[in-house]
Amino acid sequence: MIIIPAHNEEKSIEKTINSIKKYDYVVINDGSTDQTEEILEKNNYNHINLCFNLGIGGAVQTGYRYALENDYDIAIQFDADGQHDANSIPELIKPIIDGEADFTIGSRFIKKNSTNFKSSFMRRVGIRLISGVIFLFSRKRIYDTTSGFRAANREVIEYFTEHYPKEYPEPVSDFELLKLKFRVIETPAKMHEREAGKSSIHTWKSAYYVINVLLSILIVQVRRIKK
Amino acid sequence: MTNLQIEMLIAAIIFFFIITISLAKNRLSIGSSIAWFLLPIAFILIAIFPDTVNAFANWLGFQMLSNFIFLVIIGLLILICFFLTVSNSKQQDQITKLNQEVSILKAKNKKK
Repeated sequence: MIIIPAHNEEKSIEKTINSIKKYDYVVINDGSTDQTEEILEKNNYNHINLCFNLGIGGAVQTGYRYALENDYDIAIQFDADGQHDANSIPELIKPIIDGEADFTIGSRFIKKNSTNFKSSFMRRVGIRLISGVIFLFSRKRIYDTTSGFRAANREVIEYFTEHYPKEYPEPVSDFELLKLKFRVIETPAKMHEREAGKSSIHTWKSAYYVINVLLSILIVQVRRIKK
Repeated sequence: MTNLQIEMLIAAIIFFFIITISLAKNRLSIGSSIAWFLLPIAFILIAIFPDTVNAFANWLGFQMLSNFIFLVIIGLLILICFFLTVSNSKQQDQITKLNQEVSILKAKNKKK
């Protein structure tokens, strides 16, 4: 099942849903103030309207909670803004179906990758830095630590339903899973420039973002977490 | 008794009174009242045993009793403030979970 968190994505939501319609999906409308809710209603898309805005972490967790309640074996996170490519989904979930991984991350940065996604220099440096710190503490290399295109098996769905970081959820949850000895694998994924809407990470905020992520990772490192 | 002692006793009694009334009217839970009882208790101890407290303050290296009293009270306030933040974080988590559950239920209901 595909989880699509959407916050003010009126321009791209229809296109995104049409691209993944052959799978089960649920859109989590995170307190959008634009026409997102009307579009979801009008087209009768399967969706959940949060009572008030929770932020990306809380919205995605709602999806995991929904996946657990409805007994899905695999949950995929998929951005509403058209960044992710539905054609990469089979490759993303293959290691989970084959039982080789508990959690997979669609990565822009690993080889044989025909991506046309260009991110800014500062952003790449930041992602590298986060990747390095995660490697330092977990001895596992994850290249695309901020990717929001990810898939989880049943065990991880259960874990995320109980514990999902509210702030900087992608890198922090990657690291948590590694610490808990879940098998995390990166698969190549194609990503597009966003079609509409703004990234939750603006350029001038990159440095601030990276510092906060690194702090959060340090906190996870000292915290005793259990499944 | 010095004026200061009397003032502190009166302040402590008023404080106790406010806390007890709030408890009686169910505006304050018993658990969270305990932190607030520490403050008037500290006041009363200082008012009743000023010499002991003074000696203790001197032993700790304070020049004046008042400095010590300020520090103790500020320390208690910081502590209370910290525990408020802790309980606030917990409540945020609970509210988040409620929001998620209610939203899922609402969506489910609408489909029926």
